[in-house]
Amino acid sequence: MNGAWVTFRKEMLSYCTSPVSWIIAVVFYLWRGWEMTLVAEQFSYYRGDQDLFPASTYSLGSTFLMVMLVPGILTMRCFAEERRSGSIETLMTAPVRDGEVVFGKWLAAAAFFALLWLPSVFVLQVLQLAPFFGADLAFGPVFAAYLGMFLLSGMLLAFGCFASSLTDNVLLAAVLAMLFNFALMRLPQQLGAQLGEVGQNYYVRELLDKLDVMRNFTEWFARGLVDTSQIAFYCGGVLFFLFLTTVSLSSRRIA
Amino acid sequence: MIRVRDLSKRFGPTVAVDQISFDVTRGEVVGFLGPNGAGKTTTIRVLCGYHPATSGTATIAGHDVSTDSLAARRQIGYLPENVPIYPDLRVIEYLRYRASLKGVPARERRAAVARAMAKAGIEEVARKLCGHVSRGYRQRVGLADALVANPPILILDEPTSGLDPNQRRRIKQVVRDLAAEHTILFSSHILTEVEDVSTRILVIHRGRLRADGPPQDLVAHSAARHLRVVAACAVDRLADLLAGVAGLTVARRSPLAPAVGAVEAAVAAGSDPSAEVGERLLRAGIAVHELRLVLPTLEEYFHLMTEGSDRDEERRLADDAVAGGAA
Repeated sequence: MNGAWVTFRKEMLSYCTSPVSWIIAVVFYLWRGWEMTLVAEQFSYYRGDQDLFPASTYSLGSTFLMVMLVPGILTMRCFAEERRSGSIETLMTAPVRDGEVVFGKWLAAAAFFALLWLPSVFVLQVLQLAPFFGADLAFGPVFAAYLGMFLLSGMLLAFGCFASSLTDNVLLAAVLAMLFNFALMRLPQQLGAQLGEVGQNYYVRELLDKLDVMRNFTEWFARGLVDTSQIAFYCGGVLFFLFLTTVSLSSRRIA
Repeated sequence: MIRVRDLSKRFGPTVAVDQISFDVTRGEVVGFLGPNGAGKTTTIRVLCGYHPATSGTATIAGHDVSTDSLAARRQIGYLPENVPIYPDLRVIEYLRYRASLKGVPARERRAAVARAMAKAGIEEVARKLCGHVSRGYRQRVGLADALVANPPILILDEPTSGLDPNQRRRIKQVVRDLAAEHTILFSSHILTEVEDVSTRILVIHRGRLRADGPPQDLVAHSAARHLRVVAACAVDRLADLLAGVAGLTVARRSPLAPAVGAVEAAVAAGSDPSAEVGERLLRAGIAVHELRLVLPTLEEYFHLMTEGSDRDEERRLADDAVAGGAA
């Protein structure tokens, strides 16, 4: 796994020195902070149930930004940029397995994504202090929600890697990944509505249920419920797309 | 060290490399020569495991490049034609990254990078961003990358393309210095370079191997040689005399003075009729002013092997077409 670890470190360095990552971080923190302040104000004003506060932050616009747009932007350069600049040639002729390179790149994207997210946990910590709520929030559901968020994003990032391996156009890779994210968020519900009465098409319905990431989120993770089948589903998704990425890269050697 | 047998590579209907076979033994510096688009880069990419071969085999230090690719790639330091480096990394960071990617152990890495930078002569740009170094340095950073894991075999694809004469000289010197420790296969379309540096050349054209041997031997046995004779007799008599010698075709006759003629005659490949010509002239009682076998320059040879063979091929195709039309 030396190749994966070396790739991971190099990619992390690239993320940390790239202006795009800093712009994403600044936009996200400002937007998230502003939205959370507004929600906290509303809760204080209407004396809302504070334990519902974390759950109410999941559907904010900044979450949408992070889940819909950011995975595609983080992974768009992974392979498309290497292909465009030709550095894919030196990368693929180095004595490392394709799979190690793919895994290293994905892991770096996932780790950087986690770095972007984690400060919003501290925001919740801060909100427990006196001028805001002055009371403890239940952190169990928060951690379940973050776990769900990382699993989902892991899968989206893996798809982003795959999209990036298909083209040498960075923008196209990002758009492909965003379209996929959008479809994953909207299509299962739309298709589920077309299925007719409950009880018909049992397996299709089950599959769509698993694919319905929005519902997984609102009905399970956000309530603090962690279902192993969902963990298996997202991990399977990650492995599936990383496998496709590896195949896409290796196809040059198999041809 | 490198063994290629009947290697072919097609891209759809295009045949880029057509059944080439050659060997490179330990310690050789082999120049891979051919015009642009001849199939040099494709062959090199197959050797480095970047492209799969359509048919045939290639082994690097005993490891097959398709079935044992990882082990084969460990034996190679590869410098691609357009050196792609990450513009946002410093030169030393880039080389450290490449060293670790190539499995150089952590405690040896610093020394390996320093050694590669010294060999390529890039210590002064070590702290510069890769995106900010000039093209000559960029090429040398690529060379340092190829050297960093100290592989036994170096494969350099057009190492001097796009460089100014001074930079080119510097790279040639580096390659010459490296020859002591590494087996080198390098491609080029610049003849003087190949002539200066390599112990053997391979000429490839339209995907086929046209010649293989030390540069002097190739030139000495090629069909582009001619015999120049200047003798004290009328030029027509001299030409008649030469026309009778097997393997000679009179190409040009020029009377130098009323009683001195000069004749140039093409010599058939593999033969050397100068002794026979001398003897004939002596027997005829003609004083010889000059009798010389003129070897082509590598440039003329290259032209003959590539452009010349194209013309032959076109003529053959045209003949076929005429024959087909007549039938």
